[in-house]
Amino acid sequence: MIEPVALQDFFLTFFSAAMVILCGALYALLFAYARVRRRQRLMPLAYLAYLGLVASVLVLAMAANLFATGFWTFIVMLMLIGYLLAPHAIWHLCVGTHAHDHPDQESGPYQKQS
Amino acid sequence: MSHTEWWASESFWRKTAIWVTAGSFVALIFLTLDSMSAITAGSTRVPAYSVINHRIDYVFDEKRNFQVPVIGVEEPLFDQTLTEAEAEALVSRGKLTTQAKNCMNCHTLLGNGAYYAPDLTKAWLDPSWGSKDVREQMMVDFLMNPQDRLHNGLGRRMPNLGITEGEARATVAFLKWMASIDTNGFPANFTPIDQSDPPADDASAANGSPIPQQGG
Amino acid sequence: MAMPGTLDSANLNGGQKLAVKYFTVALALFGAQIVFGLLAGIQYLKPDFLYGVLDFSVNRMVHINALVVWLLFGFIGSSYWLLEDEAGIPVVGLRLGNLVFWVFTLAVAVVVVVYLLVQIGPGDHSTLWLINEGREYIEAPRWADIGIVACVLAFFFNVAATFAKGRYTGIGGVLVLDLIALFGIYLAGMFYTPNISVDQYWWWWVIHLWVEATWEVLVGCLMAYGLMQTLGVRRKIVETWLYIEVALMFGSGILGLGHHYFWIGTPEYWFTIGGFFSALEPIPLVAMVVHSVFDSGTHNMKNNNHPALAWIIAHAFGNFFGAGVWGFMHTLPQINLYTHGTQWSASHGHFAFFGAYATLVIAFFYLALQKWRGNVWMSGGLAGAWRWKWALGLLNLGMVGMVMAMLVAGYEQSQIERAIEGSSWVGYFVAQAHPWFVQGMWWRQVFGWMFAAGFVLLVWDLLTLGRGERRPAQAHSESAPR
Ligand code: HEC
Ligand code: HEM
Ligand code: HEM
Ligand SMILES: [Fe+2]
Repeated sequence: MIEPVALQDFFLTFFSAAMVILCGALYALLFAYARVRRRQRLMPLAYLAYLGLVASVLVLAMAANLFATGFWTFIVMLMLIGYLLAPHAIWHLCVGTHAHDHPDQESGPYQKQS
Repeated sequence: MSHTEWWASESFWRKTAIWVTAGSFVALIFLTLDSMSAITAGSTRVPAYSVINHRIDYVFDEKRNFQVPVIGVEEPLFDQTLTEAEAEALVSRGKLTTQAKNCMNCHTLLGNGAYYAPDLTKAWLDPSWGSKDVREQMMVDFLMNPQDRLHNGLGRRMPNLGITEGEARATVAFLKWMASIDTNGFPANFTPIDQSDPPADDASAANGSPIPQQGG
Repeated sequence: MAMPGTLDSANLNGGQKLAVKYFTVALALFGAQIVFGLLAGIQYLKPDFLYGVLDFSVNRMVHINALVVWLLFGFIGSSYWLLEDEAGIPVVGLRLGNLVFWVFTLAVAVVVVVYLLVQIGPGDHSTLWLINEGREYIEAPRWADIGIVACVLAFFFNVAATFAKGRYTGIGGVLVLDLIALFGIYLAGMFYTPNISVDQYWWWWVIHLWVEATWEVLVGCLMAYGLMQTLGVRRKIVETWLYIEVALMFGSGILGLGHHYFWIGTPEYWFTIGGFFSALEPIPLVAMVVHSVFDSGTHNMKNNNHPALAWIIAHAFGNFFGAGVWGFMHTLPQINLYTHGTQWSASHGHFAFFGAYATLVIAFFYLALQKWRGNVWMSGGLAGAWRWKWALGLLNLGMVGMVMAMLVAGYEQSQIERAIEGSSWVGYFVAQAHPWFVQGMWWRQVFGWMFAAGFVLLVWDLLTLGRGERRPAQAHSESAPR
């Protein structure tokens, strides 16, 4: 069922697991920021963060022996795809739920005129 | 004013929240029913209390890829074979003692609790009790008077918790029973006390002090 | 109406008057938690300190029980705080609520006195009924369990009846259902069984389903209200997001329970369930990140209570790091086999409890203080603002320092005790004597004192901030309630 982490991989496991979550958040953050401020230049950075996430997930998968079984390989896939799409989905939700706030949502920057 | 898409509407998410919660909860109930049948005393994973009449070991299982408890020959605790009811009463008294004396706020049991003292999951099998012949008595003595038995270089002693002899024996029964639970290989890499039957010319008592000074 | 800038209960509605009582007791218990945490920490360094008088087990029990109770008091107080605003009418049955507050507080005091003076009893049921139950976090003896349930039922009656008679907002609806779940779960911890596996199975229902499900949703409700108050975000949006959060939290958190069922005797399929849902658990946190960026982009962060907002931000970060990052680092069974029950767990436990919950209750203390003083100015240019800033800094730095110290200790312990030495008695002490561990425990203590200093400042600040302030609170850019 599981193949426990080898002693020499402990650090790698902790570190890559932390990086998965940190990169995931950074990607989401940059993605949202680029859209909300209409700074398309930031978008490549967002995807760079996602690449960091991919690398972290793969390192975690090696260190924690996740490729040893089909189920855990599936979890790896799930993380790769899920974290790629989640910020997109959540972004759409943000726009959707704030529809009343911003009638012309598709045109203006998301800045409150105050 | 643009309208809110259905997938971004309050009512859609209200319903989703309810369904997701209800669905997860129902799944948890079914899993709980199944788990309960797998861990009631007398199941394969959690043996009946009368298991304390037997030798309990902890051996690597190639197929499952971790150590599992193995129930061996008859080896009654304190040389008394108990019925299931008697065994349950004894283990239960031990469990009550662990709760009444608050063991879990210093020790972990099955890895849960506090981190000030060693994990007790396999305390019954700990090599530091010396040999299997003296173990039971050593454990009783230790539980009743731990304050003048220090086994580590840090000076961290277990306090006297006013444990009576009856409570101590019951606690040992509880610890022995707990060692028989199939914990999916936790703790890993544990070397149990030697429980093999001594060769005819009983040479095992030659190890000197049964609980050596150790650590730090 | 009294002068602005003085504490005057005329500034508060009925529910809020009761809330500040709960907050006061919560703050006192927070102090007690810190004192007993420091005592327990010292015993790691000097094992003979108070040995046989207040043993580690006693100090630790008071430490974590005070934690649970002060947070619950904070939550109950916060619920009373927003009740009349939300429901639009005075609290139904407020006199009962007041009576129950005193009964509850008295019961807590008696329990603590018995913990300290009697400590332990004979190994039979009488001890479980009268002294302590010996089960981590829910040690309170059975008589107190029953008392707690009775008190909480009265509290629940106040909340549900007030919403029912007034209006049921979205926040109100979620709050009421969540409270049913939160206190229903407590019943799962109120029985005795000799079977340690069954015992721990249900014990985790209480602990995990509290902190990773019902408490998260409860603070979600409080945050929703807090955001309307401090930033003036619109209700419809806030409530839709509350539902989204409930779906994500409960969807990942309920079955996330599986990450505690790897090693307690339960079947191997919990590896899969625990692994799968642990991978999902960060999703709600990602959602919060995206949404908060969106919100800060669309509302210009004009807010009327700087300390409260600062603590809300601390909450967002604390929840993300303490629960999200620290949780995920040790949650997969492949590594949890070795981190299980080590200082690793303690590192995560401190970070998550403080980051997710203590911070938010403190934010509510500040919201309450502002209103109590007559809704005075609490934005920029506040007299004596250094105090809340230093309190914020010392508490957060102190906590992060403690968490890092325990992380290093746990890292060493997971390798030496768990992996190499196989968790034997000898192996345990080999790991405890390792320099990384010993130094980790010293640094935990040093940062613990820093944390305690922050607490002293916090109390001082709560007693003084806004005193004599005459300016009214800054207005929102949007108006909050509908
Ligand atoms: C105040 C903290 C504290 C409490 C409470 C406590 N212990 Fe201990 N216990 C210790 C310490 C410290 C040690 C290590 C002693 C040594 O190495 O000399 C220890 C050692 C042990 C050992 C031997 C270690 C091993 O791995 O086999 C056993 C068994 C034990 N305790 C059982 C119990 C039981 C049962 C209870 C409850 C009835 C209990 N303890 C309550 C602190 C405590
Ligand atoms: C002065 C600051 C503090 C000190 C010195 C301190 C110290 C300790 C100690 C020594 C333990 C026992 C750990 C063990 O079993 O080995 C503990 C447990 C715990 N403390 Fe603290 N603590 C402090 C503040 C806090 C705060 C502010 C919180 C949360 C808001 C907190 C939450 C907890 C929790 C949840 C546990 C149980 C951890 C577990 O079982 O994994 N502590 N603390
Ligand atoms: C605010 C939310 C959370 C709080 C307050 C919290 C608190 C705690 C505490 C106090 C413990 C130690 C329990 C004990 O005394 O034995 C613990 C254990 C644990 N937590 Fe959390 N937690 C939170 C969220 C999470 C999340 C999101 C994850 C995973 C992604 C997680 C994973 C774990 C795991 C795996 C353990 C078991 C540690 C062990 O095996 O010893 N937690 N948590
Ligand atoms: Fe959990």
